[in-house]
Amino acid sequence: MGLYSLWAVSIGLAGVALLIMCGLIVVRLLTQRRDDALAAGRRSLLPLLLGDASDETVLAAVRTGSPILSDLAIELIELVRGEERDRLVATATRLGVTDHLRRTLARAPVRARMVAAETLARFPDPATTDALEAALEDKSADVRLAAALSLASSDRAPEARRLIDLLGLGTGEQSMLIVALFQEISRTRPGEIRALIDDPACPPPVKAAAIEALAASGDYSLVPSIVELALAADPADEELPRYLRALGAFQHPAAAPAIVRWLGAPTWWVRSAAAEAAGRVGLIETAYTLLGLLDDPDWWVRFRAGEALVRLGEPGRRLLSECSSCGTERARSAARLTLAEQAVRG
Amino acid sequence: MIDWHPWATSIAITVAWIVIATGLLQTGVYVVQLLFAGVSLSRRPPVSNAALLWRRLAGHAPPIALLAPAYNEEITIVESVTSLLALHYPSFEVIVINDGSSDNTLQQLIASFGVEPVERYYDQTLAHQPIRGLYASPRLPRLLVIDKDNGGKSDALNAGINVARAPLFCSIDADSLLESDALLRAVRPFIEEPDKMVALGGTIRLANGSRIDGGRVISVALPRNFLALVQIVEYLRAFLMARLALSRMQVLTVISGAFGLFRRRLVLEVGGYSQGTVGEDMELVIKLHRHMRDRKQPYRIEFIPEPVCWTEAPEDLTILGRQRARWQRGSLETFFKHRDMLFNPRYGRIGFIGFGHILVVDVLGPLIEVLGYVLVPLLWAVGLLAVDYLLAFLAITFTFGVFVSVATLILEEAELRRFPRASDLVVLTVVAVLENFGYRQLSNFWRLRGFWQFLTRKQGWGKMTRKGFARS
Repeated sequence: MGLYSLWAVSIGLAGVALLIMCGLIVVRLLTQRRDDALAAGRRSLLPLLLGDASDETVLAAVRTGSPILSDLAIELIELVRGEERDRLVATATRLGVTDHLRRTLARAPVRARMVAAETLARFPDPATTDALEAALEDKSADVRLAAALSLASSDRAPEARRLIDLLGLGTGEQSMLIVALFQEISRTRPGEIRALIDDPACPPPVKAAAIEALAASGDYSLVPSIVELALAADPADEELPRYLRALGAFQHPAAAPAIVRWLGAPTWWVRSAAAEAAGRVGLIETAYTLLGLLDDPDWWVRFRAGEALVRLGEPGRRLLSECSSCGTERARSAARLTLAEQAVRG
Repeated sequence: MIDWHPWATSIAITVAWIVIATGLLQTGVYVVQLLFAGVSLSRRPPVSNAALLWRRLAGHAPPIALLAPAYNEEITIVESVTSLLALHYPSFEVIVINDGSSDNTLQQLIASFGVEPVERYYDQTLAHQPIRGLYASPRLPRLLVIDKDNGGKSDALNAGINVARAPLFCSIDADSLLESDALLRAVRPFIEEPDKMVALGGTIRLANGSRIDGGRVISVALPRNFLALVQIVEYLRAFLMARLALSRMQVLTVISGAFGLFRRRLVLEVGGYSQGTVGEDMELVIKLHRHMRDRKQPYRIEFIPEPVCWTEAPEDLTILGRQRARWQRGSLETFFKHRDMLFNPRYGRIGFIGFGHILVVDVLGPLIEVLGYVLVPLLWAVGLLAVDYLLAFLAITFTFGVFVSVATLILEEAELRRFPRASDLVVLTVVAVLENFGYRQLSNFWRLRGFWQFLTRKQGWGKMTRKGFARS
């Protein structure tokens, strides 16, 4: 290619870009009127959907399954609760919104499929369930997870083990939303999530997510299993702090062996999680260990140790108070400021 | 016509080829970026409505500390903080760092938000100028003010990082406005890939000309000032094309200081923001790349176009010139400080593509282009170069420039459509053409000045006058 061709190519490319841009401007001019009409249609549709207008009246304003009807109905459904939501869901279903969403979920580009999968959570009819179940095998991992979350939020999720396989949970899929998925499932089928914790074939991130999902359940029978997992873990394991935090959430003294052991972990993140758990559980026997951690090289460990000592009540505060006047400089500072921050003067 | 000696002609042709080859390389880089940006935009995650996004993410969104360094921001600080406190995010803390302002920034904060001195136990891993005091109010538990001795932006951010306790922090400029759901959109990759995400940048848009009320952009409109208009096209090119493409290639080297989300722990591990540089935002990203590559850990540093932060662009040539010289100096400081990463196989694609990109676009590009402006027309005028060389030079400096700018606008209109009126597109298209004739050359001159400042080791930010956002 000669130098002149460079000039010619550049002129050609700039010309083509300008032509395309002119085309887009013309399209915008043409669609602006349509967009204005759509906005006006949306404004007129709003009182119809919120009021008691008949389906015929609504359909006189827009055609069945129109995207504008679908978008507005979805927005309104997200904004209201209770009977009002049920009424809107029923209206939207009758007016073809679910049909539109199911078509989108089956055929549209990834972004639209994902939104459709998220939105269909609000529509509990069998056809929607089938569509969402089919989306569990979508080629996009994001769509698969969105479909699973939607099914789970309306108590329609398939068996947890099947989801682990379909979604690659803990192997390909590492999203924090796995916890949300398990929390939703455990509302009605806690045993299924519980079984994952004891299943040796289950990947550690899935076990950790299952533990976090069940941590707020108050099912103390889980504590020994989590303690066992924590004791068997390597201090470098990323799941270990999650186990310890879950033990803290249970606030059960049976967690003591794991917490006491990992207060001396070589990794700061494990020591920090163990200190936090010790405070939450109220393990008074760890008070002197926590006092020692006020001089830990890592700030987070010192901070959690101070916080834990405050949680231990009067004995912990007394130790903090003593340390604020006679510990090492690092420990003194941690103790003094923890007390000041907690507004408890020693 | 002068009959030149063949060696004179050979030298002239060699010079012309160096200029043309560098320009072509730069254009090639832009074309590749356009392609990657197009792919990235078409595959970006959905823009769910706010309620849907909240339902999906709020329960698992990690806490975020918003760090807003402020130096002599008394005009804008109250509105900025009010806007930050109104953000739509489940768990966040706004940490305003008054960096030894000589005006009434601190007094404005105390008077408007009723904050009082408090004590808090904070990390002291990062070095910074002494903290004089912390201020908070039980009435506004999400607000914490740090008052410290002046030390510059990096120093202020380091103090904020030390005091913050959230696992993620978001650095912003105190005079910027975040869209209300920007944090929720920005945190999405951290939720979806918690083990890999290290840092993320969002789009910076210019609010000049737009209607602003209560710290929110109410309606988007174009400014009347030509310089501000040109900067709108420039920002589109920088964010929509370059950063999106570099992010897609996983070689993003800059996250704007005006809006970036970082994993706090990793930033502490790399020593926080470096001091004594004006390119601290770029340098931090490079340090994170180096750290993760050295640890051989898989990681992601991303840019996503949806979360938007609005800022004020200078409408004055002097201030804009200073800003651009400073940006250039920042790029050069970072490039030369980490030059061992250039084409170093140990740093993989970041060494080859990321640093290669800085070399072509920021280090060699402006120098050789300015050299071309002087030499190519001169050598052609005296008969040492054929007209083909002149045309090729014009192609790489003007017409390819028009193509790249207009193509970015096409991407914006085809994928995002954030300019509300067709007339906005007409104006921006005209500006995208015009900027190549005069503004581009001026911009290169500013960058050259930045080069000179770098070589003469000039320090400091220069004066940046704030006028505050125009209210509706």
